Amino acid sequence: MNIRMVQGALVLLLLLPVSACASPTAVEDSPTPTPTSVTPPPNSGSVGTQSAALQPVRAAVPPVRVQVPAGGIDVTVEPVGVLADGQMELPANPRVAGWYRYGPDPESDAGGTVIAAHVDSLKYGLGPFSKLKLLSAGTKVQVTTADGVSHSYKIQTTQKILKTQLPIAQLFDRTGAPRLILITCGGQFDNTTLHYSDNIFVTAVPDAP
Amino acid sequence: MRYKLLAGIAVGIIATLGVAVPAQAISPTTANLYVLHAVPATPVDVWVNGSVLLSNFQPGTLTDAQDLPAGDYTVVITAVGAPITTPVIGPATLTLAANTSYTVVAHLDAGGNPTATLFTNDLSTIPAGQGKLTVRHTAAAPAVDILANGTPAFTNLTNPNEVKANLPVGSISAAVALTGTTTPVIGPADVAIQEGVNTIVYAWGSAEAGNLQLAVQTIGGLHSNPTGVNTGSAGLTADPNPAAIGVGVASLLALMIVGSAATVRARKSRVGA
Repeated sequence: MNIRMVQGALVLLLLLPVSACASPTAVEDSPTPTPTSVTPPPNSGSVGTQSAALQPVRAAVPPVRVQVPAGGIDVTVEPVGVLADGQMELPANPRVAGWYRYGPDPESDAGGTVIAAHVDSLKYGLGPFSKLKLLSAGTKVQVTTADGVSHSYKIQTTQKILKTQLPIAQLFDRTGAPRLILITCGGQFDNTTLHYSDNIFVTAVPDAP
Repeated sequence: MRYKLLAGIAVGIIATLGVAVPAQAISPTTANLYVLHAVPATPVDVWVNGSVLLSNFQPGTLTDAQDLPAGDYTVVITAVGAPITTPVIGPATLTLAANTSYTVVAHLDAGGNPTATLFTNDLSTIPAGQGKLTVRHTAAAPAVDILANGTPAFTNLTNPNEVKANLPVGSISAAVALTGTTTPVIGPADVAIQEGVNTIVYAWGSAEAGNLQLAVQTIGGLHSNPTGVNTGSAGLTADPNPAAIGVGVASLLALMIVGSAATVRARKSRVGA
Protein backbone atom coordinates (compact mmCIF):
# COMPACT_ATOMS: atom_id res chain seq x y z
CA MET A 1 0.00 0.00 0.00
CA ASN A 2 2.76 2.43 1.05
CA ILE A 3 4.96 1.17 -1.74
CA ARG A 4 2.15 1.63 -4.22
CA MET A 5 1.62 5.18 -2.96
CA VAL A 6 5.30 5.97 -3.29
CA GLN A 7 5.31 4.51 -6.79
CA GLY A 8 2.25 6.57 -7.66
CA ALA A 9 3.95 9.71 -6.40
CA LEU A 10 7.07 8.93 -8.40
CA VAL A 11 5.00 8.33 -11.54
CA LEU A 12 3.29 11.67 -10.96
CA LEU A 13 6.64 13.41 -10.53
CA LEU A 14 7.87 11.93 -13.78
CA LEU A 15 4.71 12.78 -15.64
CA LEU A 16 4.48 16.36 -14.47
CA PRO A 17 7.83 17.98 -15.09
CA VAL A 18 8.28 21.56 -14.03
CA SER A 19 7.22 23.81 -16.86
CA ALA A 20 9.89 26.10 -18.16
CA CYS A 21 7.48 28.98 -18.64
CA ALA A 22 7.51 31.21 -15.57
CA SER A 23 4.72 33.56 -14.59
CA PRO A 24 3.53 35.60 -11.57
CA THR A 25 1.53 33.97 -8.82
CA ALA A 26 -1.99 34.40 -10.18
CA VAL A 27 -3.51 32.24 -12.85
CA GLU A 28 -2.80 33.94 -16.14
CA ASP A 29 -3.28 33.04 -19.74
CA SER A 30 -0.23 31.62 -21.43
CA PRO A 31 0.49 32.66 -25.01
CA THR A 32 -0.39 29.44 -26.84
CA PRO A 33 -1.68 25.98 -25.98
CA THR A 34 0.84 23.16 -26.23
CA PRO A 35 -0.50 20.94 -28.99
CA THR A 36 2.06 18.16 -28.62
CA SER A 37 2.44 16.31 -25.37
CA VAL A 38 5.90 16.59 -23.81
CA THR A 39 5.28 13.55 -21.64
CA PRO A 40 3.20 10.39 -21.98
CA PRO A 41 -0.40 10.77 -20.75
CA PRO A 42 -0.80 9.85 -17.08
CA ASN A 43 -3.19 7.24 -15.84
CA SER A 44 -6.01 9.64 -15.09
CA GLY A 45 -7.64 6.97 -12.94
CA SER A 46 -4.83 7.48 -10.41
CA VAL A 47 -6.22 10.81 -9.17
CA GLY A 48 -8.76 10.29 -6.41
CA THR A 49 -11.84 12.52 -6.48
CA GLN A 50 -14.80 13.09 -4.18
CA SER A 51 -18.03 15.02 -4.11
CA ALA A 52 -17.61 18.53 -2.74
CA ALA A 53 -21.21 18.59 -1.52
CA LEU A 54 -21.82 19.65 2.08
CA GLN A 55 -21.62 16.48 4.20
CA PRO A 56 -22.97 16.00 7.71
CA VAL A 57 -20.15 15.69 10.25
CA ARG A 58 -20.16 12.83 12.75
CA ALA A 59 -20.76 14.06 16.31
CA ALA A 60 -18.18 13.02 18.91
CA VAL A 61 -19.10 10.11 21.20
CA PRO A 62 -17.58 10.92 24.62
CA PRO A 63 -16.16 8.11 26.75
CA VAL A 64 -17.80 8.03 30.20
CA ARG A 65 -16.03 5.17 32.01
CA VAL A 66 -12.68 3.32 31.90
CA GLN A 67 -12.27 -0.08 33.54
CA VAL A 68 -9.22 -2.30 33.86
CA PRO A 69 -10.66 -5.28 35.78
CA ALA A 70 -7.29 -7.06 36.10
CA GLY A 71 -5.65 -3.86 37.33
CA GLY A 72 -8.30 -2.75 39.80
CA ILE A 73 -9.07 0.47 37.90
CA ASP A 74 -12.60 1.82 37.44
CA VAL A 75 -13.02 5.55 36.82
CA THR A 76 -15.69 7.81 35.40
CA VAL A 77 -14.64 10.11 32.57
CA GLU A 78 -15.52 13.74 31.82
CA PRO A 79 -14.76 15.77 28.67
CA VAL A 80 -11.94 18.29 29.17
CA GLY A 81 -10.02 20.83 27.07
CA VAL A 82 -6.92 22.86 27.77
CA LEU A 83 -6.08 25.28 30.59
CA ALA A 84 -5.04 28.90 30.05
CA ASP A 85 -1.38 27.86 30.47
CA GLY A 86 -1.72 25.34 27.63
CA GLN A 87 -1.67 22.23 29.83
CA MET A 88 -4.35 19.58 29.39
CA GLU A 89 -7.31 20.26 31.70
CA LEU A 90 -7.99 17.55 34.31
CA PRO A 91 -10.77 16.86 36.81
CA ALA A 92 -9.53 17.77 40.32
CA ASN A 93 -10.57 14.39 41.75
CA PRO A 94 -8.10 11.61 40.78
CA ARG A 95 -11.07 9.19 40.74
CA VAL A 96 -12.43 11.07 37.70
CA ALA A 97 -10.46 10.98 34.45
CA GLY A 98 -10.55 13.61 31.68
CA TRP A 99 -11.07 12.81 27.99
CA TYR A 100 -9.41 15.31 25.61
CA ARG A 101 -12.60 16.38 23.88
CA TYR A 102 -10.91 18.11 20.93
CA GLY A 103 -9.28 14.87 19.81
CA PRO A 104 -10.58 11.47 18.67
CA ASP A 105 -13.09 9.38 20.64
CA PRO A 106 -13.42 5.57 20.76
CA GLU A 107 -15.69 5.60 17.70
CA SER A 108 -13.41 7.77 15.53
CA ASP A 109 -11.99 6.22 12.37
CA ALA A 110 -8.46 7.22 13.28
CA GLY A 111 -6.17 8.60 15.98
CA GLY A 112 -5.68 8.34 19.71
CA THR A 113 -8.42 8.74 22.31
CA VAL A 114 -6.57 10.47 25.16
CA ILE A 115 -7.81 9.94 28.72
CA ALA A 116 -5.75 11.29 31.63
CA ALA A 117 -6.20 11.51 35.41
CA HIS A 118 -4.32 12.91 38.37
CA VAL A 119 -2.31 10.22 40.09
CA ASP A 120 -3.01 11.81 43.47
CA SER A 121 -4.12 14.98 45.20
CA LEU A 122 -3.59 16.53 48.63
CA LYS A 123 -7.37 16.78 49.02
CA TYR A 124 -8.51 13.42 47.61
CA GLY A 125 -5.46 11.17 48.16
CA LEU A 126 -4.12 8.50 45.85
CA GLY A 127 -6.12 7.85 42.65
CA PRO A 128 -6.80 4.70 40.59
CA PHE A 129 -4.41 5.76 37.80
CA SER A 130 -1.53 5.23 40.27
CA LYS A 131 -1.89 1.60 39.16
CA LEU A 132 -1.27 2.39 35.48
CA LYS A 133 2.47 1.81 35.85
CA LEU A 134 1.80 -1.77 36.94
CA LEU A 135 -0.23 -2.73 33.85
CA SER A 136 1.55 -5.12 31.51
CA ALA A 137 1.14 -5.74 27.78
CA GLY A 138 -1.95 -7.78 26.95
CA THR A 139 -4.05 -6.46 29.85
CA LYS A 140 -7.66 -5.76 28.79
CA VAL A 141 -9.20 -2.29 29.07
CA GLN A 142 -12.90 -1.47 28.66
CA VAL A 143 -14.06 2.01 27.67
CA THR A 144 -17.78 2.77 27.80
CA THR A 145 -19.02 5.63 25.62
CA ALA A 146 -22.02 7.91 26.20
CA ASP A 147 -24.07 5.86 23.71
CA GLY A 148 -23.76 2.86 26.06
CA VAL A 149 -21.35 0.94 23.83
CA SER A 150 -18.44 -0.87 25.50
CA HIS A 151 -15.15 -0.70 23.57
CA SER A 152 -12.51 -3.34 24.27
CA TYR A 153 -8.79 -2.62 24.13
CA LYS A 154 -5.62 -4.58 24.81
CA ILE A 155 -2.56 -2.85 26.26
CA GLN A 156 0.47 -2.73 23.98
CA THR A 157 2.92 -0.73 26.05
CA THR A 158 3.24 0.99 29.42
CA GLN A 159 5.91 3.67 29.36
CA LYS A 160 7.49 6.13 31.79
CA ILE A 161 9.12 9.23 30.38
CA LEU A 162 10.33 12.61 31.63
CA LYS A 163 7.47 15.11 31.26
CA THR A 164 9.73 17.34 29.16
CA GLN A 165 10.15 14.45 26.70
CA LEU A 166 6.50 13.38 26.49
CA PRO A 167 5.77 12.67 22.77
CA ILE A 168 2.76 15.00 22.80
CA ALA A 169 2.19 15.17 19.03
CA GLN A 170 2.26 11.38 18.85
CA LEU A 171 -0.13 10.89 21.79
CA PHE A 172 -2.61 13.52 20.60
CA ASP A 173 -2.31 12.45 16.95
CA ARG A 174 -5.59 12.41 15.03
CA THR A 175 -4.37 10.11 12.29
CA GLY A 176 -3.24 6.50 12.17
CA ALA A 177 -4.93 3.40 13.54
CA PRO A 178 -7.51 4.00 16.32
CA ARG A 179 -5.97 3.56 19.76
CA LEU A 180 -6.44 4.44 23.43
CA ILE A 181 -3.92 6.51 25.40
CA LEU A 182 -4.12 6.62 29.22
CA ILE A 183 -1.88 9.17 30.94
CA THR A 184 -0.97 10.01 34.51
CA CYS A 185 2.08 11.13 36.48
CA GLY A 186 4.92 9.23 38.07
CA GLY A 187 8.60 9.31 38.83
CA GLN A 188 10.05 11.52 41.53
CA PHE A 189 8.15 14.26 43.30
CA ASP A 190 9.36 17.81 43.70
CA ASN A 191 8.14 19.09 47.09
CA THR A 192 8.71 22.69 46.02
CA THR A 193 6.79 22.75 42.72
CA LEU A 194 4.41 19.92 43.80
CA HIS A 195 4.95 18.23 40.43
CA TYR A 196 6.10 14.78 39.46
CA SER A 197 9.11 14.40 37.16
CA ASP A 198 7.56 11.91 34.73
CA ASN A 199 4.45 10.94 32.85
CA ILE A 200 3.26 7.34 32.76
CA PHE A 201 1.34 6.50 29.61
CA VAL A 202 -0.37 3.37 28.40
CA THR A 203 -1.04 2.67 24.72
CA ALA A 204 -3.83 0.19 23.96
CA VAL A 205 -5.31 -1.01 20.68
CA PRO A 206 -8.84 -2.20 19.87
CA ASP A 207 -9.40 -5.83 20.83
CA ALA A 208 -12.15 -8.41 20.50
CA PRO A 209 -14.59 -8.04 23.43
CA MET B 1 20.27 -8.58 -3.24
CA ARG B 2 22.05 -5.56 -1.81
CA TYR B 3 20.28 -3.22 -4.22
CA LYS B 4 16.96 -4.76 -3.33
CA LEU B 5 17.74 -4.28 0.34
CA LEU B 6 18.72 -0.65 -0.17
CA ALA B 7 15.61 -0.02 -2.22
CA GLY B 8 13.58 -1.61 0.53
CA ILE B 9 15.17 0.65 3.13
CA ALA B 10 14.55 3.72 0.96
CA VAL B 11 10.89 2.82 0.55
CA GLY B 12 10.72 2.18 4.29
CA ILE B 13 12.14 5.60 5.09
CA ILE B 14 9.78 7.34 2.66
CA ALA B 15 6.80 5.43 4.02
CA THR B 16 7.77 6.28 7.60
CA LEU B 17 8.16 9.95 6.76
CA GLY B 18 4.82 9.86 5.01
CA VAL B 19 3.19 8.70 8.22
CA ALA B 20 5.13 10.93 10.62
CA VAL B 21 4.89 14.27 8.81
CA PRO B 22 1.86 16.25 10.03
CA ALA B 23 -0.69 17.39 7.49
CA GLN B 24 0.36 21.03 7.52
CA ALA B 25 3.97 20.26 6.62
CA ILE B 26 3.99 19.27 2.95
CA SER B 27 7.67 19.13 2.00
CA PRO B 28 10.52 21.56 1.37
CA THR B 29 10.39 20.72 -2.34
CA THR B 30 6.77 19.99 -3.14
CA ALA B 31 3.35 21.65 -3.03
CA ASN B 32 -0.14 20.21 -2.54
CA LEU B 33 -2.65 20.97 -5.27
CA TYR B 34 -6.37 20.23 -5.12
CA VAL B 35 -8.58 20.72 -8.17
CA LEU B 36 -12.23 21.78 -7.75
CA HIS B 37 -14.68 21.84 -10.64
CA ALA B 38 -17.21 24.61 -10.02
CA VAL B 39 -18.59 25.40 -13.48
CA PRO B 40 -22.21 24.17 -13.53
CA ALA B 41 -23.41 21.50 -15.94
CA THR B 42 -20.13 21.09 -17.83
CA PRO B 43 -18.03 17.91 -17.42
CA VAL B 44 -14.45 18.62 -18.54
CA ASP B 45 -11.00 17.19 -19.13
CA VAL B 46 -8.17 18.84 -17.16
CA TRP B 47 -4.79 18.90 -18.89
CA VAL B 48 -1.55 19.58 -17.00
CA ASN B 49 1.63 20.22 -18.96
CA GLY B 50 0.05 18.81 -22.10
CA SER B 51 -1.34 15.59 -20.61
CA VAL B 52 -4.83 14.74 -19.37
CA LEU B 53 -4.73 14.59 -15.57
CA LEU B 54 -8.50 14.31 -15.08
CA SER B 55 -10.90 13.03 -17.70
CA ASN B 56 -14.67 13.52 -17.55
CA PHE B 57 -14.25 15.60 -14.37
CA GLN B 58 -17.71 16.39 -13.02
CA PRO B 59 -19.00 19.74 -11.65
CA GLY B 60 -19.08 19.77 -7.84
CA THR B 61 -16.16 17.34 -7.65
CA LEU B 62 -12.88 17.86 -5.77
CA THR B 63 -9.65 15.89 -6.21
CA ASP B 64 -7.48 14.56 -3.40
CA ALA B 65 -4.32 16.55 -2.73
CA GLN B 66 -1.74 16.05 -5.49
CA ASP B 67 1.82 16.26 -4.20
CA LEU B 68 3.76 18.08 -6.94
CA PRO B 69 7.30 19.45 -7.19
CA ALA B 70 7.28 23.21 -6.70
CA GLY B 71 7.34 25.10 -9.99
CA ASP B 72 5.16 26.25 -12.86
CA TYR B 73 2.44 24.13 -14.43
CA THR B 74 0.41 24.85 -17.54
CA VAL B 75 -3.25 23.97 -17.14
CA VAL B 76 -5.81 23.69 -19.92
CA ILE B 77 -9.46 22.74 -19.43
CA THR B 78 -11.41 21.38 -22.40
CA ALA B 79 -14.75 19.77 -23.08
CA VAL B 80 -14.64 15.99 -22.51
CA GLY B 81 -12.75 14.32 -25.37
CA ALA B 82 -11.92 17.63 -27.07
CA PRO B 83 -8.34 18.33 -28.20
CA ILE B 84 -6.11 20.52 -26.07
CA THR B 85 -6.20 23.13 -28.85
CA THR B 86 -9.85 24.00 -28.05
CA PRO B 87 -9.70 25.13 -24.41
CA VAL B 88 -12.72 26.19 -22.40
CA ILE B 89 -10.36 27.67 -19.80
CA GLY B 90 -6.66 28.45 -20.25
CA PRO B 91 -3.97 27.74 -21.04
CA ALA B 92 -3.04 29.17 -17.65
CA THR B 93 0.16 29.01 -15.66
CA LEU B 94 0.02 27.88 -12.04
CA THR B 95 3.07 28.78 -9.98
CA LEU B 96 3.30 26.44 -7.00
CA ALA B 97 5.65 27.25 -4.11
CA ALA B 98 7.12 24.49 -1.95
CA ASN B 99 5.43 23.56 1.34
CA THR B 100 2.23 25.34 0.29
CA SER B 101 -1.29 24.05 -0.25
CA TYR B 102 -3.36 25.29 -3.19
CA THR B 103 -6.78 24.72 -4.67
CA VAL B 104 -7.21 25.58 -8.33
CA VAL B 105 -10.88 26.20 -9.01
CA ALA B 106 -12.48 26.09 -12.45
CA HIS B 107 -15.46 28.42 -12.02
CA LEU B 108 -17.50 31.26 -13.49
CA ASP B 109 -16.38 34.85 -13.06
CA ALA B 110 -18.85 37.48 -11.83
CA GLY B 111 -20.01 37.98 -15.43
CA GLY B 112 -20.64 34.27 -16.04
CA ASN B 113 -17.55 33.43 -18.14
CA PRO B 114 -15.50 30.29 -17.33
CA THR B 115 -12.19 31.02 -15.62
CA ALA B 116 -9.74 29.47 -13.16
CA THR B 117 -8.43 30.82 -9.88
CA LEU B 118 -5.56 29.51 -7.79
CA PHE B 119 -6.28 29.92 -4.08
CA THR B 120 -3.68 29.37 -1.34
CA ASN B 121 -5.05 27.29 1.54
CA ASP B 122 -4.24 28.48 5.07
CA LEU B 123 -2.41 25.68 6.90
CA SER B 124 -1.49 27.71 9.98
CA THR B 125 -2.02 26.07 13.36
CA ILE B 126 -5.42 26.75 14.91
CA PRO B 127 -5.85 27.36 18.69
CA ALA B 128 -7.33 24.51 20.74
CA GLY B 129 -11.12 24.44 20.65
CA GLN B 130 -11.39 26.26 17.33
CA GLY B 131 -11.70 25.57 13.64
CA LYS B 132 -11.14 27.80 10.63
CA LEU B 133 -13.89 28.85 8.23
CA THR B 134 -12.80 30.10 4.80
CA VAL B 135 -15.42 31.36 2.34
CA ARG B 136 -14.58 31.77 -1.37
CA HIS B 137 -16.76 33.56 -3.91
CA THR B 138 -16.50 31.62 -7.18
CA ALA B 139 -20.03 32.24 -8.48
CA ALA B 140 -21.48 34.29 -11.33
CA ALA B 141 -23.00 36.74 -8.88
CA PRO B 142 -22.31 40.25 -7.56
CA ALA B 143 -20.79 41.00 -4.16
CA VAL B 144 -22.27 38.96 -1.32
CA ASP B 145 -22.49 38.94 2.47
CA ILE B 146 -22.00 35.71 4.39
CA LEU B 147 -24.58 35.28 7.14
CA ALA B 148 -23.75 33.15 10.17
CA ASN B 149 -26.82 32.24 12.23
CA GLY B 150 -28.79 34.96 10.42
CA THR B 151 -26.43 37.89 10.93
CA PRO B 152 -23.72 39.12 8.53
CA ALA B 153 -20.33 37.65 9.49
CA PHE B 154 -18.42 38.71 6.37
CA THR B 155 -19.56 41.51 4.07
CA ASN B 156 -18.96 42.60 0.49
CA LEU B 157 -17.12 39.48 -0.70
CA THR B 158 -16.52 39.59 -4.45
CA ASN B 159 -15.55 36.99 -7.05
CA PRO B 160 -12.79 35.58 -6.97
CA ASN B 161 -11.87 36.45 -3.37
CA GLU B 162 -11.97 34.82 0.04
CA VAL B 163 -12.54 35.67 3.69
CA LYS B 164 -11.64 33.55 6.70
CA ALA B 165 -11.78 33.43 10.49
CA ASN B 166 -11.11 31.05 13.37
CA LEU B 167 -14.35 30.14 15.14
CA PRO B 168 -15.27 28.04 18.19
CA VAL B 169 -16.02 24.41 17.40
CA GLY B 170 -19.68 23.79 16.63
CA SER B 171 -22.26 24.12 13.91
CA ILE B 172 -23.24 27.40 12.26
CA SER B 173 -26.17 28.06 10.01
CA ALA B 174 -24.49 29.67 7.01
CA ALA B 175 -26.21 31.56 4.21
CA VAL B 176 -25.13 33.77 1.32
CA ALA B 177 -27.04 36.97 0.55
CA LEU B 178 -26.40 39.74 -1.96
CA THR B 179 -24.49 42.52 -0.18
CA GLY B 180 -26.76 44.72 1.89
CA THR B 181 -29.60 42.19 1.98
CA THR B 182 -30.43 39.36 4.36
CA THR B 183 -32.50 37.19 2.01
CA PRO B 184 -30.37 34.11 1.28
CA VAL B 185 -29.49 33.30 -2.33
CA ILE B 186 -27.73 30.17 -1.03
CA GLY B 187 -28.69 28.28 2.13
CA PRO B 188 -29.06 28.52 5.00
CA ALA B 189 -27.08 25.30 5.46
CA ASP B 190 -25.51 23.85 8.59
CA VAL B 191 -21.72 24.02 8.33
CA ALA B 192 -19.65 22.19 10.96
CA ILE B 193 -16.68 24.03 12.44
CA GLN B 194 -14.38 21.13 13.33
CA GLU B 195 -11.46 21.40 15.71
CA GLY B 196 -8.15 21.94 13.93
CA VAL B 197 -9.80 21.81 10.50
CA ASN B 198 -9.87 24.49 7.80
CA THR B 199 -13.37 24.19 6.31
CA ILE B 200 -13.39 25.95 2.95
CA VAL B 201 -16.83 26.79 1.60
CA TYR B 202 -17.23 27.81 -2.04
CA ALA B 203 -20.24 29.73 -3.33
CA TRP B 204 -20.50 28.62 -6.98
CA GLY B 205 -22.88 28.45 -9.89
CA SER B 206 -24.82 31.27 -11.49
CA ALA B 207 -27.39 33.64 -9.99
CA GLU B 208 -28.90 34.17 -13.44
CA ALA B 209 -29.23 30.43 -14.14
CA GLY B 210 -30.63 29.88 -10.64
CA ASN B 211 -28.07 27.20 -9.74
CA LEU B 212 -26.09 28.93 -7.00
CA GLN B 213 -24.85 26.35 -4.49
CA LEU B 214 -22.14 25.47 -1.96
CA ALA B 215 -19.09 23.22 -2.32
CA VAL B 216 -17.02 22.26 0.70
CA GLN B 217 -13.37 21.28 1.08
CA THR B 218 -11.81 20.39 4.43
CA ILE B 219 -8.13 20.32 5.36
CA GLY B 220 -7.43 18.80 8.78
CA GLY B 221 -4.39 18.26 10.97
CA LEU B 222 -4.05 21.98 11.81
CA HIS B 223 -4.85 21.50 15.53
CA SER B 224 -2.59 22.55 18.36
CA ASN B 225 -1.87 20.13 21.21
CA PRO B 226 -1.81 20.69 24.97
CA THR B 227 1.70 21.65 26.10
CA GLY B 228 1.75 18.90 28.71
CA VAL B 229 -0.17 16.71 31.13
CA ASN B 230 0.36 17.60 34.80
CA THR B 231 -1.30 14.82 36.71
CA GLY B 232 -0.31 14.82 40.35
CA SER B 233 0.24 17.19 43.24
CA ALA B 234 0.70 15.18 46.44
CA GLY B 235 3.72 12.93 45.93
CA LEU B 236 1.90 9.94 47.40
CA THR B 237 3.22 7.48 44.83
CA ALA B 238 6.61 9.00 44.06
CA ASP B 239 9.62 6.90 43.18
CA PRO B 240 12.51 7.12 45.68
CA ASN B 241 14.52 10.28 45.07
CA PRO B 242 18.30 9.62 45.11
CA ALA B 243 18.97 13.16 46.34
CA ALA B 244 16.48 12.68 49.15
CA ILE B 245 18.13 9.37 50.05
CA GLY B 246 21.48 11.17 50.18
CA VAL B 247 20.02 13.71 52.59
CA GLY B 248 18.52 10.87 54.61
CA VAL B 249 21.83 9.03 54.89
CA ALA B 250 23.62 12.22 55.88
CA SER B 251 21.01 12.95 58.56
CA LEU B 252 21.31 9.39 59.84
CA LEU B 253 25.09 9.69 60.00
CA ALA B 254 24.76 13.03 61.76
CA LEU B 255 22.33 11.50 64.24
CA MET B 256 24.68 8.59 64.86
CA ILE B 257 27.61 10.97 65.43
CA VAL B 258 25.56 13.15 67.74
CA GLY B 259 24.29 10.00 69.42
CA SER B 260 27.74 8.53 69.98
CA ALA B 261 29.02 11.87 71.20
CA ALA B 262 26.13 11.96 73.64
CA THR B 263 26.93 8.44 74.72
CA VAL B 264 30.56 9.39 75.23
CA ARG B 265 29.42 12.42 77.22
CA ALA B 266 27.10 10.25 79.22
CA ARG B 267 29.86 7.78 79.90
CA LYS B 268 32.15 10.61 80.86
CA SER B 269 29.57 12.08 83.17
CA ARG B 270 28.93 8.66 84.62
CA VAL B 271 32.62 8.30 85.06
CA GLY B 272 32.82 11.77 86.53
CA ALA B 273 29.85 11.08 88.77
